Amino acid sequence: MAVVEDTREQFIRQDGKDKVTGLGRYTADLARTGMLQARFRYSDHAHARVLRIDTSAAKALPGVFAVLTQDDVPDVRYGGFVEDRTLFAKDVVRFEGEVVAAVAALTQEIADRAVELIEVEYEPLPAIADPEQALAPGAPLIHEGWAGYGGNEDVVREGNDCSHSSIRKGDVDAALASADEVVKERYVADMSHAVPIEPRAIVAEWQGDKVTVWTSTQVPFIARSGVATTLQMPEADVRVVVPHLGGGFGGKCEFHFEAHVAALARAARRPVRLVFTRREEFVAPDHRREGQVLELETGVMKDGTIVARRARLVLDNGAYAADAPFFPQLAAMMAVGPYRVPHVSVDAHLAYTNTTPSGSVRAPTAPQSCWGLELHMDAVAERIGLDPVEFRRRNIVHPGDETATKQVLETIAAAESLERAVEMIGYGRELPPDEAIGVACGWWPTFALPSGAHVKLHGDGSGTIVTGAQECGTGSVMALPLLAAEVLGMRPQQFTVVYQDTDAGPWDAGASGSQTTTNNGRAVVEAAIDVRNQLLELAEEVLEAARADLELVDGRVRVKGSPSTGVDITELAEKAAGDKLLLGRGSGSPPASPDCDISGCTGRLGSESFLAPTFMTHAVRCKVDRATGVVRVLEVAAAHDSGRVLNPVGANGQVEGGVAMGIGMALSEGSQLSDDGRQLNPYLLDYKLQTAADVPEIRVEWVGEPDPTAGPNGAKAVAEPPCVPTPGAVGNAIAKVAGRVRCLPMTPMRVWEAMQR
Amino acid sequence: MSATYTAAATLPEALAALASGARPVAGGTDLVVGARQGKAPLPDSLVAIHGLAELRGIAETGGGGLRIGALVSHADLVAHPAVRERYTALADASAIVGSHATRHVGTLGGNVMNASPAMETGGPLICFGAEAVLVSESGERRVAVADLLTGPGRTAARPDELLVAIELPAAAGGSCYARLEYRRQMEIAVVGATCAVTLEGARIGSARVAITALTPRIVRVPDAESALAGGDGGAGAVQAAGDAAAAAAQPISDVRASADYRRAMAAVIARRAVTAAIARARGSSDSVPIPASPALHGADRD
Repeated sequence: MAVVEDTREQFIRQDGKDKVTGLGRYTADLARTGMLQARFRYSDHAHARVLRIDTSAAKALPGVFAVLTQDDVPDVRYGGFVEDRTLFAKDVVRFEGEVVAAVAALTQEIADRAVELIEVEYEPLPAIADPEQALAPGAPLIHEGWAGYGGNEDVVREGNDCSHSSIRKGDVDAALASADEVVKERYVADMSHAVPIEPRAIVAEWQGDKVTVWTSTQVPFIARSGVATTLQMPEADVRVVVPHLGGGFGGKCEFHFEAHVAALARAARRPVRLVFTRREEFVAPDHRREGQVLELETGVMKDGTIVARRARLVLDNGAYAADAPFFPQLAAMMAVGPYRVPHVSVDAHLAYTNTTPSGSVRAPTAPQSCWGLELHMDAVAERIGLDPVEFRRRNIVHPGDETATKQVLETIAAAESLERAVEMIGYGRELPPDEAIGVACGWWPTFALPSGAHVKLHGDGSGTIVTGAQECGTGSVMALPLLAAEVLGMRPQQFTVVYQDTDAGPWDAGASGSQTTTNNGRAVVEAAIDVRNQLLELAEEVLEAARADLELVDGRVRVKGSPSTGVDITELAEKAAGDKLLLGRGSGSPPASPDCDISGCTGRLGSESFLAPTFMTHAVRCKVDRATGVVRVLEVAAAHDSGRVLNPVGANGQVEGGVAMGIGMALSEGSQLSDDGRQLNPYLLDYKLQTAADVPEIRVEWVGEPDPTAGPNGAKAVAEPPCVPTPGAVGNAIAKVAGRVRCLPMTPMRVWEAMQR
Repeated sequence: MSATYTAAATLPEALAALASGARPVAGGTDLVVGARQGKAPLPDSLVAIHGLAELRGIAETGGGGLRIGALVSHADLVAHPAVRERYTALADASAIVGSHATRHVGTLGGNVMNASPAMETGGPLICFGAEAVLVSESGERRVAVADLLTGPGRTAARPDELLVAIELPAAAGGSCYARLEYRRQMEIAVVGATCAVTLEGARIGSARVAITALTPRIVRVPDAESALAGGDGGAGAVQAAGDAAAAAAQPISDVRASADYRRAMAAVIARRAVTAAIARARGSSDSVPIPASPALHGADRD
């Protein structure tokens, strides 16, 4: 089995010291002269018609500089897939965290008081919290005007069904009829959250017609577009800068509140700062992980061959579409999983509800779908009396196999990840009766997106990478110097990175979709090659040698085969400084999506084929307290195929963090809702993250080969995959001791209830 | 919205401030967090008592008991040999209050006077027969902790009274406080139970059992105590004590658990507290105290 190795020097990331010593400045740390504090007035109902808003008492409060409602901003509906949203509530509020008005005041206390003084009169409407209920015939419409909304025409939607995707392959009815066994089950995953340590913060300051917005976003260029679109101003007049970002995990993807703060600052004629409380971080953002209802049906032969999968998935969209309309297609792919399934019929729906909108959170749809599917896989194995690992072994995809959308898989190591993970954990060994090992496999695509970078060398021979990419803590931007250094024969420590400023770097999709290394890495390599060519041109003159005979090694350009004949890059840089500029640019064309065939399928939104798919298997050992249902994860073995691993320290850290997040989703992280869609536990005492004391030893190994269709030198996605299989693996371990728990998170009470049955 | 904050240098200064309407603050772990979460606004007038030397320290009393100053932190309680050996349930409770940070700054006095039905130290103090020493400008009085805690967030102390110390009578035998824990750190009691027993030869002498977070205020469970007292401390007695604890519970359903689960866990957790208390009385040094963090306490409960 090929294991990707990388023995190059491990280096300390540029932002590391700032972050661990407390020197780092985050958005909430910024102070501008005369700065005001912002507060939002949220809707008092999960669903209601707004009859009247009176801001006069708030405006009259001393210390209040601005109070805004939808009447004070351009009448623009926005949304990447479905234009269903306005900055402030317009006529109807559709979830408890909808912004009705905003205040800027001298102090936070005055702003709090002013928000209370805003009078809003409502006519309450029936609220729908349950996504299946929202899709039921006759359910009240959450967006009465849905048909008139603009947006992406590839989104198939009707009424409360905000996006429908299907996969059809073969003849699923006939295949199920001919199967030896058919297993049909239902699983339900609760909504959960990204929970970055840093609650979001935004500071906006105007100078004339131009605004600078400092914001804790993962996607500065998309935030810039959002401000320009909603405030109807040229993008060139909007500069978005991101100080250090205190985590995002997807929750800070998309445009959120930058325009609200910019509008307040313009009205108040002062800089304005908004800092969220933890409660707001749960209730207000349109980016929490969606709940899912999974109905899964599998036809299987006695020898363990899967012949068919039928599934219906209902995903909980929340009140607005945000970036969720591509979820159904992705979830449908996840409901098939990394297995050979010849006959497939999957329908996935995204249902509007009166809850906080869902959106991309680390590997959107995948941990929940994978959890349901992998528990189902164990249930199918049980039905035919086959060991669950052996069952997976007989169905997992190999190079040359075809997916449900008839993509032929090429450079993949799914089977190796399965074998390695079970070997690492010692699958099959004797365990105490209250312990068990669970195994789950998952997959995830690599996303191809446009991106750009500049690389420049200074007169002293040091370099700067100017990139549009955004660092959200994963270290992918911080690792870009490794790529430039490799091309230029320099050391990564010689490069600084200028990033997170829309006026500096080229456009980039931001810290989303595990895309930075793949796409911006490609751009940095191309920009570095550009500089390399410029260096070689200079060196040709100095060394009087043909370019083809030169190489860049250890900070020198030297003649191949004659290492003593050469010139220091520093010397060339010094020479160039007063004359030519050593400035490279790169974008690199995004690779094309693999071929597939989706005839008969519905809702084509980009996930119908998986570019350079990653594969991962987690094997976990759990202990179940049979009296209480409390589960402790004692050991995790994670074997991942991400192609070539560029930075092993960073990549291992991503797996460790992803597994910890996955354990949280498995055991404790879930929002509870009231019947009218309000979150009942929007705070960290009762929305329980795993603590450092809870997370066990996590062993990580990398399998597979560099994938030529992927990023620089064959690197596939790394950041999102690690949280995908963990909940399923934990669930399968629990099932062996306590019985299958069909709700996520699998809390002590739910495990205990499963044991009572 | 004017607010005043003064730091008292002497006990009379603090008492004078209380008499004129100020509220005391020590570690601030309940007060500040509660205000931030919007549970209760900060009082208009605060008097800080962290500088009062007479509220610090743990001292032996003449009668073989302990006097614990109101400002003693949970971390100090866990580390104190006499607390660990003779009042083990109190060490258990102090070891799992909140987080490391909470235990470092949070005080026993604050935990008691906050009077949460989920407070960790309440059950042990009640089972040990602890008394609260309350002082005001008009003098000192002593109230049993069992009588001090009158309801959720309510105590029998007058607003002008300051808790200066908790006094524990002499104790023999073994004790334990156990809690249902969904995770290993940063927990709050959903179900908790305390047991303290003495031995008479091989048999149980006296027994005290209290349940935490299962009733509006922490209460003893007489049926559980009588199931144990005079018995052999065997499985039957432990089972009966657990059943009595469950019967005494008045559980609610909320985001933390259903009433059914809470009642079932009342029996489980009470059995665990009773079993450990008896084992400790018989000389076992089993988990003393329960390590809140295996990594830091050098032991693993699994």
